[in-house]
Amino acid sequence: MTGDRKPSAINNVAPAKASRTKLNRRKFLIRTGGIMAAGAFGAVPLRGWAADPVNIGALYPTTGSMAQIGVGCVAAAKLAADMVNEAGGIKSLGGAKLNIIVSDVQSDTTVTRTETDRLISGNKLSAIHGCYASALTLIASEVCERARIPIITGSSSDQLNKGRTYTFTPFARASQFAKAQLQMAKLVSEQPKVAVIFENTAFGTSTSNGLKELAPGEGVEIVMFEPYSAGFTDASPLINKVKASGANTLFSLSYLNDLILIVRTVRQVGLNIAINGGSGGFVMPDFYKNVGKAAEGLQGVAHWNHDVSDEAQKVNVEFKKRTGEFAFEYAGGLVAQTFMLADALERAASTDPKKVREALSTLDVSSGYAAMAPGGKVKFGPDGKNVYGKPVGVQWQNTDLVSVFPKEDARAPLMKT
Amino acid sequence: MLETLAQAVINGLLIGGIYALVSIGVTLIFGVVKIVNFAQGEFVMIGMYISFFLATQFGIDPLVSLVVSMPVLFVAGMLIQHFLIRRVLGPNDMPQIFLTFALSLLLLNLSLMLFTANYRTVHTWYSDEALHFGGLYIPVAKLIAFVVAMGLSALLWVFLHTTDLGKAMRAASQNRDVAMLMGINPNRVFAVAFGTALALAGAAGSLLMPFYSAYPFVGQVFVLMAFVAVVMGTLGNVMGALIASLMMGVAESLGIQFVGADSGLIVVFALLLLTLAFRPSGLGAQRGR
Repeated sequence: MTGDRKPSAINNVAPAKASRTKLNRRKFLIRTGGIMAAGAFGAVPLRGWAADPVNIGALYPTTGSMAQIGVGCVAAAKLAADMVNEAGGIKSLGGAKLNIIVSDVQSDTTVTRTETDRLISGNKLSAIHGCYASALTLIASEVCERARIPIITGSSSDQLNKGRTYTFTPFARASQFAKAQLQMAKLVSEQPKVAVIFENTAFGTSTSNGLKELAPGEGVEIVMFEPYSAGFTDASPLINKVKASGANTLFSLSYLNDLILIVRTVRQVGLNIAINGGSGGFVMPDFYKNVGKAAEGLQGVAHWNHDVSDEAQKVNVEFKKRTGEFAFEYAGGLVAQTFMLADALERAASTDPKKVREALSTLDVSSGYAAMAPGGKVKFGPDGKNVYGKPVGVQWQNTDLVSVFPKEDARAPLMKT
Repeated sequence: MLETLAQAVINGLLIGGIYALVSIGVTLIFGVVKIVNFAQGEFVMIGMYISFFLATQFGIDPLVSLVVSMPVLFVAGMLIQHFLIRRVLGPNDMPQIFLTFALSLLLLNLSLMLFTANYRTVHTWYSDEALHFGGLYIPVAKLIAFVVAMGLSALLWVFLHTTDLGKAMRAASQNRDVAMLMGINPNRVFAVAFGTALALAGAAGSLLMPFYSAYPFVGQVFVLMAFVAVVMGTLGNVMGALIASLMMGVAESLGIQFVGADSGLIVVFALLLLTLAFRPSGLGAQRGR
């Protein structure tokens, strides 16, 4: 036994530890006290403006598996606040500036609950926006409902509009995405024969069932409907199957890694098929970087795109300057949401969250940054849903994501690959 | 139909080549050092990240970066064997299991912290290319990976059968105590075996990079198949693991093709159960030993 040769660790450690604590207690207190003080200061918004600033909470995952998009959202939140503040702030509140207080929800549902609570109890907030991922937003919106703080979000889950009075969703709902996807298939071919492949998870199964239900009504034939296990090593057998089905359009309900493999494999096989990758990771700048030229001509759906209006283009230019990437759907949508909040604050002439909620519920805009959404109009119904909300069909063309559907929002014709 | 079948077999063989590199490593360590290396998948992941960073920082082709990833992981393997594994070798298996499992968790979380959970891909000129024969196609990147994987396996076989060190490893694998009595230095043999196994994992990583994404959990995807192949091909038998890996690749591909895209693994495990039922020690077991 090798352990016997060494002097016992236990005998040595105990006295050393005791003496160290005694000697360093003062140092220890100074250090921990300093850290606690720093933490306390971090949570207190910095002051120094003439009018008291309006505090807006921003809940995003800036660490963990969803961090990449979360970090982009925070950049967009800051950009949006700067835009409002540079334009003179909230005039009815004496030119009050928007003050964004960011809180990291760590891509985790439990942390989201505690962080939302902490953010609300530790700060005098007028409103909150977040969290981009529906799973997290569902929890945050629950906490906001109880605390009576309005939350405005780009998340697409239809559940967010059920039984909530403080949640506002200015963009298209998940149920609208499926319909748009099917209608886009009809643009590619007169008789669309669609192969639907989906990962066998809650996300894949629910979305694919939505497609299956709507397909007959839209006149789209589904020739293959196949679940697969997410995280496969090889997409070839699956694509081999798609090829054998004789489909001319492929709907792939997959997360990024599987989708990358699927797209690459389709190109290798030389299969001439239109691919619609839906939303999510597919409409992010990263997708093109990963897939490269094989992404050209791929279609998807988004709740916002950087070419939906002139204002959106301006936001895109500014966002690109700051981050180096084009403004993705959540980033651009977030800028629009901030302007909706500013509009509500202006009319409420108060930082009281209840009054802000009242003002949001009567919001009705059709111009400016606040109306920067597909369709160009925002007005909330009693369920907090934008009554004009609709998705936009997009396609990768010459390294850029271009709006191609519906016709009134299209900036370029759909490329038939 | 025949074409679909042929294509399914080709797809299976190609991915089976990658499974082989991982499972040969596992079986080599088990055969010689007599421990199960649960962290083998994480070394594939490290191999992928080495190739990824060489490709993005210096523009080195992932296949060329084999000459970096293999030696780096070989040395890492020798060091791990010398400083960690050697200390827990003994009659009790538990510390060994915990050690390699802890190593797996450590490497996984370390890479999550350092590289984040994002998917990283490298795009080479041959990434999306394929050779077409009639209705069949063979993706170039996978073909290269398969050929190199088979070449490395053959090299290992030659090494094990012709060199003194290789023979010593085989001897230690067959009967460790007798091998030691014959004057074989176990520490040296173990270190080389562990290093070689990790070098193979590194090679698998580099070969995967042109057509698969690197992310911290990537090793887990491949290591499951590797373990099944090791059991099916008889624990410790290199040739058995190779053949079993290829069979499993084909079984998985046929399963996806003809059973269902979410049941490829069902066929793999059915094959494993059948093998264990009729040849309990696996395909590579020698009769009468």
